[in-house]
Amino acid sequence: MKSISLYVERDSFIHDVDPITKLLYILFALLIPIILPTFTISFFCLGISILLLIVAKVIRKTVPVFSFVFLVLITVVIIQGLFKPENETVLFQIGPVAMYKEGLLYALTITLRVTNIVSSFLILVLTTKPSDLVETLVRKGMSPRIGYVIVSVFQIIPEMMSSMGTIMDAQRARGMETEGNLFVRVKAFVPLLGPVILGALINTKERAMALEVRGFNSRTPKTYLYEEKKYTHSKLIQSAMLFLVVGAVAWRIFV
Amino acid sequence: MKKIIVEGLKYKYPLSDTLALDDLSFEVNEGEFIGIIGKNSAGKSTLCQALVGLVPHFYKGAYGGKVIVDGLEVKSHSIADIALKVGMVFQNPFTQVTGSKMSVYEEIAFGLENIGLPRSEIIERTDYVLDLLKIEQVKDHNPFDLSGGQMQRMAIASIIAMKPDILVLDEPTSQLDPAGSEEVFSAIQNLSKQGITVILAEHKMEKVAQYCDRVLLLNDGKMVDLDSPAIVFSRKDLEDHGVRAPVFTRVCKALGVKKADSDDYPVTLEDAEKVLRGRML
Repeated sequence: MKSISLYVERDSFIHDVDPITKLLYILFALLIPIILPTFTISFFCLGISILLLIVAKVIRKTVPVFSFVFLVLITVVIIQGLFKPENETVLFQIGPVAMYKEGLLYALTITLRVTNIVSSFLILVLTTKPSDLVETLVRKGMSPRIGYVIVSVFQIIPEMMSSMGTIMDAQRARGMETEGNLFVRVKAFVPLLGPVILGALINTKERAMALEVRGFNSRTPKTYLYEEKKYTHSKLIQSAMLFLVVGAVAWRIFV
Repeated sequence: MKKIIVEGLKYKYPLSDTLALDDLSFEVNEGEFIGIIGKNSAGKSTLCQALVGLVPHFYKGAYGGKVIVDGLEVKSHSIADIALKVGMVFQNPFTQVTGSKMSVYEEIAFGLENIGLPRSEIIERTDYVLDLLKIEQVKDHNPFDLSGGQMQRMAIASIIAMKPDILVLDEPTSQLDPAGSEEVFSAIQNLSKQGITVILAEHKMEKVAQYCDRVLLLNDGKMVDLDSPAIVFSRKDLEDHGVRAPVFTRVCKALGVKKADSDDYPVTLEDAEKVLRGRML
């Protein structure tokens, strides 16, 4: 079955790290450049994230995500380089258009921050099964209902998309024009909405009933089919990150 | 022992003007196998849902009378409490897949995790039902990748694994081929012999006649009859209630052959064969 999860099954050290640690790493990669706002530190954090993505053998999967992010960032660079109010020093000129140093430096800061957040987030998303992440969180005390909502989305959305495909095929079989120019396709989309939305509502009602009779709302504490996964080095990595954050704060205050 | 007691049960869905269930009263003994028959919209599914508490807790609507399952009054207990005693399998297998599990094995374990069973018990029961419903070979598949029939078996297995005292099945074999429904029926009959009370809404009259101890005939939300298959299917007004007798009964009716020393027509292949052979000799 098609999945909308970005998870990539690979055999690597990063895949064996506890999902909670990866969540904390996002926080870590976010905090350090805020505490120590220099370019060196930002580049360093980004470097670590990218190194981890390479170690996890998922770097190629990041290309589409990064290309989308860079598309957005290019507009930031252009607009800041041209129009930032503090712009004074002209860096270079293309015809009548002048790019300013202050704006470009500011754009570089934003770019670094965004890529930093995106890459640390990708470590979590690409190397953690959504169900593992949710199970870990539920064991830590998150409500199983919220956990269910998160995990089921990954299966029920593709399911709805495939039922949409079936309905579209049925309509095409009865002679509806679904291919052609934009207008034709938009016109074909409207009759699709009724059955898809109504069908989804009815399915949701029936699924809710089926969950009820399987004790979903039972007040007995939940147990688990699988034993809790033992992750290696969780404590070590987490305390190293805590140590680095504390160190960064100290550096900022005293140096 | 009375496992299910229904007294003057009346129910109306919200936004509807007519009663879906109209003054039903009956009792079911422990270990009985009851078939519910009737035409479409006669109230079969609503009655099934009334036994697990989905009516009235899930739908709301106007409710009157009393349903007591295994000593619990449905109206004053939550669905989660009733679910420990009564298991229900629905018509549509596709919407019974939870969508939060990646394999058939995990899917079956879902209900057992919810009711807080220890891990070893979960594994033991899951293995047992996989074997009972003959779906071991697909236990690692994604639930959404199964065929309709396999999905239906999985839905039944998920409920049987919870070991309810009462099993309510709403057309559980609609997606199965004849061999598959035969297998499912004999699995259910096995459970019934182990003392589980089974309530089954079904359109396949031959199967109802063969397996059920008693048959409850519904029409427009009213109970027409609750008696042995032979008596219910021998009724003269059966077709007025929108139900066709098993084909064996219809053949014997046309030939005017009744069972020996009784006023009823044969309802199963064996009985029909017996009386017809007797006539040919």
